[in-house]
Amino acid sequence: MSDPSALRTEIEKEIAENTILVYGKGTKDAPRCGFTLETIQFFSQFGYPFAVVDVLENMPKRQVLSEMTDWQTLPKVFIGGNFMGDTDILEPMAEKGELQTLLEKTFGERGVAPAIKLS
Amino acid sequence: MIDESTMTGMIRAVFPDAQIQIWDRTGTMDHFDVLVRSNGFAALSPLDRHRAVEKALAPARADGRIHALAIRTELLES
Repeated sequence: MSDPSALRTEIEKEIAENTILVYGKGTKDAPRCGFTLETIQFFSQFGYPFAVVDVLENMPKRQVLSEMTDWQTLPKVFIGGNFMGDTDILEPMAEKGELQTLLEKTFGERGVAPAIKLS
Repeated sequence: MIDESTMTGMIRAVFPDAQIQIWDRTGTMDHFDVLVRSNGFAALSPLDRHRAVEKALAPARADGRIHALAIRTELLES
């Protein structure tokens, strides 16, 4: 799976299948980067399901991801199929309540309610 | 490893009006939080503001002087 077009297809499938998708270093249970850990903790507060895909050692996939997003660093977050950057972008959105609104709308369209009630 | 004045200079080369605060997260001068306030961000989306700051610091990213970087951007007038 090192062919760029095959990798792009794989990425597009992952983005379509996961309403919140984090490309990071390590897994949910074993993050291997401080920013990936911060991103997992960040999304844990909202009560919606999110997926983490470990691309730490998959340099061809990281290269394709960087080209697709014009964003060189990990983690990379997608919500509802849209690239959202990382927690540098998402934390200010959450402080303003914009992220909660986006999540309610995006998951609402997919018929998913949060597992914990949002305050 | 990079010092604050070098980082500030790289950012101001792109955003001359920038007010910049830098925090060394680990005391090792390679993990930073940076807050950049500039009116040069006015026409840019949050993603593009972030991309622009990363681009300004790209040489220090590429050679490893900056290992980790969290970026906040704001307008000067806000």
